[in-house]
Amino acid sequence: MEKHPSREALIAALTEDLTPVKRVRPRDGAALIVFATIIAGIASLMIFGFWSGMITGEASPYYWISNGLLAVVGASSTAALVSSAVPKVGSRSSAPLWSTAMLAVLPLAAIITLMSIEAGHDHGLGLDDPGLMYWECAAYGLGASSIIAVAAIMFLRRGAPVSLDRAGWLVGLTSGSLGALAYNVTCPLDSLLHVGIWHVFPVFAGAVFWRYAAPSLIRW
Amino acid sequence: MVADEPTFARLMAAAQDGDKAATNVLLSEVGLWLERYFKRRVPPHSIDDLVQEVLIAFYTKRATWDPSRAFLPWLAAIARYRWVDHLRKVYKHDSKELFEDDAIEDSEEDVVLARVSLDRLFSQLPEKQAEAIELVKIGGLSIRETAERTGQSESLVKVNIHRGLKKLATLVEEVD
Repeated sequence: MEKHPSREALIAALTEDLTPVKRVRPRDGAALIVFATIIAGIASLMIFGFWSGMITGEASPYYWISNGLLAVVGASSTAALVSSAVPKVGSRSSAPLWSTAMLAVLPLAAIITLMSIEAGHDHGLGLDDPGLMYWECAAYGLGASSIIAVAAIMFLRRGAPVSLDRAGWLVGLTSGSLGALAYNVTCPLDSLLHVGIWHVFPVFAGAVFWRYAAPSLIRW
Repeated sequence: MVADEPTFARLMAAAQDGDKAATNVLLSEVGLWLERYFKRRVPPHSIDDLVQEVLIAFYTKRATWDPSRAFLPWLAAIARYRWVDHLRKVYKHDSKELFEDDAIEDSEEDVVLARVSLDRLFSQLPEKQAEAIELVKIGGLSIRETAERTGQSESLVKVNIHRGLKKLATLVEEVD
């Protein structure tokens, strides 16, 4: 909008075609992100098929722990993200940070386990674990996360985030965790070495990527 | 006299519903509130431009206010966002505008307060960064003159200004 000679002229121009507005509500953003997650989940199921291991009891504890933690990160970061679309001052939720720190225990555990195997303590695991080198799961998780990232950015663009860097981190954490979750439920590889590395990788990669990519898309 | 919180909230709710008269009054009152908000944050010659800019942002994003929450913190968050953005633009384009002339028009109290605020921010920067910013951005010296005066190389002066301004912007953003 061009600069106006006076404030009165600006106000007159702004209110010339005033119309009622539909309020931006955080819960609408949450609903949009949940919807995008369901779409990503359905797409993953259609492409990779349903893994019955979670019903038959075949799924290992690592499967449940990793997906449970991803759900917690997804929930906390979604809540923080939709809240960040509305301008406010004051304290901000640190729940996404702490839940991501909890999730980071998994790759740390996987790396320590790898070093233990090298040191001769295999704990029933081995470097011949087929899941160890199957990095494609991270790529599929990132692919699924892109659907959620689009939804998150669409909502943020409707809103007015006042901390763009933080919103960028949250886009990455939300889309990475929920996208990985949407794909991971279809994956039959459930060893610690696999889920601890490749199933959680999209969260950290997504967070770093969107921290830098999102601000220019949501600036207002 | 600037409107109070309940008046702002009432006018804003009406503006969201498309009430033109209420929106006109609201924008005028918000303009006055913003003038006071920016008075000690930006040089006087920039206030009107910044107020107009925030009024446009305020109007464009009016759908993001929730009537169940307080109005003024919401407005303050928008004002601060645009202020930080304004600072970034000013520094990014290596503005040659010096604020000394404006300071003469200002009251003595405002000049002192602005100086105190700056000193407080500068105290959180490494000495070399604060020195480089002060000499170039406030003192108006060239990079070369600053390099000669401080004993830093020209490249280091540029790096210190860049890093220092980035940190200042972060500090300003963190102030609630």
